[in-house]
Amino acid sequence: MADHHNAPQKAGAPWLGYVVGLILLVVGATIGQQWEVPVPGIPLNLGKTVAMIGILLILFPIVRMFYTEPLAQAIQERNTHLENTFSEAENLRAEMTQLRTDYERRLNETEARARDQIQSQIKEAQNLRQQLMSEATERADEMVRRAQEEIAAERDKLIGDLRTHVVDLTLAAAERVIGENMTTERNRRLVEDFIEKVEVAR
Amino acid sequence: MNGALQLFPSLLGEAAAAEPGVPMSLVFVAIIIAITLGLFAYARRGYSNPVFKGPVVGGISLSGMAEQLYLYMEHFALGIIGPHGRKYITVLATYWSFIFVANVWGLFIEYTPTADFSLNLGMAIAAVFYVQYEGIRHNGIWGHFKHFAGPKLTGIMVLVTALIFLIEIISETMKMLSLSLRLYGNIHGGHEVVSKLNDLGQVGGWNVPIGGLLIPIKLLTCVVQALVFTLLLAVYLGLVTHHEEEPGGQHSASDETGRLLEGNPHALEAHAV
Amino acid sequence: MLGLGIGLAVGLAAMGVGIGQGITGNGAMHGMARQPEASGRIQTGMLIALAFMELVFLLSFVTALILQGKLTTGA
Repeated sequence: MADHHNAPQKAGAPWLGYVVGLILLVVGATIGQQWEVPVPGIPLNLGKTVAMIGILLILFPIVRMFYTEPLAQAIQERNTHLENTFSEAENLRAEMTQLRTDYERRLNETEARARDQIQSQIKEAQNLRQQLMSEATERADEMVRRAQEEIAAERDKLIGDLRTHVVDLTLAAAERVIGENMTTERNRRLVEDFIEKVEVAR
Repeated sequence: MNGALQLFPSLLGEAAAAEPGVPMSLVFVAIIIAITLGLFAYARRGYSNPVFKGPVVGGISLSGMAEQLYLYMEHFALGIIGPHGRKYITVLATYWSFIFVANVWGLFIEYTPTADFSLNLGMAIAAVFYVQYEGIRHNGIWGHFKHFAGPKLTGIMVLVTALIFLIEIISETMKMLSLSLRLYGNIHGGHEVVSKLNDLGQVGGWNVPIGGLLIPIKLLTCVVQALVFTLLLAVYLGLVTHHEEEPGGQHSASDETGRLLEGNPHALEAHAV
Repeated sequence: MLGLGIGLAVGLAAMGVGIGQGITGNGAMHGMARQPEASGRIQTGMLIALAFMELVFLLSFVTALILQGKLTTGA
């Protein structure tokens, strides 16, 4: 009896369930009409029972065909569709994230490069300024030094001139005072010694 | 009792009086099955829609209802029978829909298949034999009967094993009786109670259908009895097929689907995070 | 006497089953309140327990029906 119930299981041989169910149904509906069980209060007719078993045997594959399989297929299709949509969205999001990181990286790179360039330009300019300033101070120092040297040379020359002039004047004055020629070598040396002393004293 | 207020014959309790013969009751069964299959077939129109927005009857989307029934039976099958329970959805859904439609039919028409003990017994016998068949298919004939015999005992205790075997056989028989009696008692008992209350409502020349006040609880009974029959069938199936550790080469496409479906929430969560 | 027996059978069975189902519902409600996440499984178990309890009542109800059949046929 139990072997008859493979109909809802094996989709390969539904006809067995149909045949057995039909036989049970016909038997229950024809011969079974006499199978009344006399239970007082509860009407019990085993023909109906047998027919019901047959009906259920026929019904299982039909419900499977009409209801379970198409619905399961539809639900599975919907699930795969949903999954596909989700994975698609996920892919899109990953792509977007990738693009954004790319863009950010490039932006950062550009910024860094610009900053570097600005820094290097500033450094160059500072170097240039430093150089220019040092050159300028150098040249100014040079000029000052040369001017001082010139001044010193002029002064020395002037002092020398002045000294000879003073010696000459002194000798002339002394000539006039003592009325004689004092342009001897010895006198001249005396006067120059004196002047040197005066210069030193000064 | 044939007063003007006789809207629903079952509410007025004519059910117990008339028990039709075998062909007539089978015609009623055929009508119930035709309604059920018609609803299923009508609901198929909506399956191509991504949200199953199918034909609407009385404000309810039939396809959505069919999907909900499927999901509920799937929940039963996966939760009670186990991860291999997906293939029992057909049987569970068949029983549920047939019993439910017949019960609702019984709210309006005086005779309904689920209020007929003979037909209920047929359903219960089919269910119990189906459970036995599944047990044999899963554990083998020897394993199935070993499951009957309880724990392994030796010596004089073999008698106890025999006793347990006997008791298990009786319990299997009782399963048929309990399944059918539960359904019969609830539906037929509901009719009886309505009939008796209506008898109380006969005051003078008036027919006051007091039994109509019971219609909410009868509606609840319709759903609950269909649910309980299916639930107990699922429990029996789960008890019988529970012992197998590994089906061993019985991985069908439906198992793959199950894994896919079970993995799906996590995937969705992962997407959401 | 048989009529009295029928009434008593159904009434007493209803009483006992009512008490038992109340206790079951009480326990299930407690469980659900304490662990709302397990309410699905608790509900399933509760329904099974209620079904078995109701079976006891239905057995007595069917007994009453049979007795009633005897009553009507006997009378």
